[in-house]
Amino acid sequence: MIFIFFAGIDLGSTMTKVVILDDTEHICATVVEHTGAEHRKLAYKVMEEALGKAKLSLDDIAYIIATGYGRINVPFADKQLTELTCHARGVNYFFPGACTAVDIGGQDAKGLMIQNGKLLDFVMSDKCAAGTGRFLEVIAAALGITMDDLGALSAASKNRVPISSTCTIFAQQEVVNHLSKGVSVEDIVAGLHDAIASRVVRMVRRLKVEPEVVFTGGVAKNSGMVRALADNLGCPVLVPSEPLLSGAIGAAITGKEMVMKAQAEGRKLETGMRKMGETTFFQQDKV
Amino acid sequence: MKSFLGVDIGSGTSKGVILNVPDGSNVYHSILSGVDYRRSAEELRKGLLKKAGAELEICYTVATGQGAGLVSYANEKVADLRGCARGVNRRFPAARTVIDVEGQSTQVMRISGQGRVINFVVSEKCAAGCGRFIDIISNVLQIPIDEIGPLSLKSDNPVTFTTACAVFGESEAVSRVSEGVPKEDILAGVHSALAEKIASLVNRVGIEQDCVICGGGALNIGLVKWIEKKLKIRLIIQPYPQYVAALGAALIARENMVSK
Repeated sequence: MIFIFFAGIDLGSTMTKVVILDDTEHICATVVEHTGAEHRKLAYKVMEEALGKAKLSLDDIAYIIATGYGRINVPFADKQLTELTCHARGVNYFFPGACTAVDIGGQDAKGLMIQNGKLLDFVMSDKCAAGTGRFLEVIAAALGITMDDLGALSAASKNRVPISSTCTIFAQQEVVNHLSKGVSVEDIVAGLHDAIASRVVRMVRRLKVEPEVVFTGGVAKNSGMVRALADNLGCPVLVPSEPLLSGAIGAAITGKEMVMKAQAEGRKLETGMRKMGETTFFQQDKV
Repeated sequence: MKSFLGVDIGSGTSKGVILNVPDGSNVYHSILSGVDYRRSAEELRKGLLKKAGAELEICYTVATGQGAGLVSYANEKVADLRGCARGVNRRFPAARTVIDVEGQSTQVMRISGQGRVINFVVSEKCAAGCGRFIDIISNVLQIPIDEIGPLSLKSDNPVTFTTACAVFGESEAVSRVSEGVPKEDILAGVHSALAEKIASLVNRVGIEQDCVICGGGALNIGLVKWIEKKLKIRLIIQPYPQYVAALGAALIARENMVSK
């Protein structure tokens, strides 16, 4: 029996994700690394790591699709797709009944309307740090806590304090003022989660929100945000086992579908140059 | 001699002006507001009286600014826009538009020849629309705040900032530094971005000359020049620009005392 493999690489603003799937859509390997300035140039290193885990070489991969902010910095990819298309497909992989997806990443927030894994409509905010993972990062740093502490802290809150500032910078100052008045860190953290959730929900409501609602992106790993989002939406929120990977999985599955379709039509799907090496920031190498 | 006090308890600093000290001059004093506005208001008054030197009879006090309600010794409080308009009008009766750039907000108002506010817009939701943005970037570049304005005017090739957010802008500035972009080009980009936002506020209320700039932002000559460039008009810089609302409050104190 011959296995065929497919890879999806999602170069996000904060994290880079790689997934390798086989033709039964079984996940063979996943890698999640900080994007940083280095990895933006060295996307191939993350890919090599994933290939190593799966014990495969680049030639074993039938099709590679790159997605995310930095997708044009992946010279070994066969195709680039927007992260919206891939997220819709990836969310469908985890929850086939999903109609709405909320994705909160390190530098943006998106709402997706999905039908059978296809994207119908979307809303997006990437102009301002409020309502993204960055808001939590900045304020966690001001509070001297890590991102991993946030969920448990907000669960321990008894009396959530409202955060009235929209701007991350002003909210940071507001938090310091609350601290100096003796408000507990738990109540502040709960207030922060509610502030982000209400902002994102206001945006997502521009779409028709229908269950099932799926929450993805790095921020979905924070149980406090999951609760706050469900409260603000007024309905349950499903979180995939790997909320960071929906884009990369969606990319790999789309690659598989393209190869299968080409095979059914008796065509051979051309792959790209597959150049492994350093790239310059947002410049694709000329072929 | 009867003296009058105006205090402006702002989010960042508290400013005070005493009118009519015995030698005929005015006394200006400012302190950081901190987190206890009530206490800063007390300390501000003490500092002002100490600077004035002589025994003063302060017969009327008007408070303005975010913490105006917490000034226990104030006889009256007024909106900071009103104080600001009054303060500008005192020095520049021909002023019809006022741009007030502060650390935590920017307001633009149209005023009458009597120093009354006719119309105004305030931008206070976003750090990228006020002086704070420049503060943040000067921190990244480690340049003292009074040097950044002049430096921003030396650039021939301003960096374009792709975001309108101070947090993302900070990351962009860090990226540009690591790419070796000259500091003056980064600063020119920041000033240009902020000036653009301020200019769009000005255009919303409509501009009529003379146009006066005040608030702490008016101390930054770079920012003034960049706004002039965007609006294509000359700006008049208010002396002691950060004290303008406190001065206006003191002027209102004198008027109200006299009329009573």
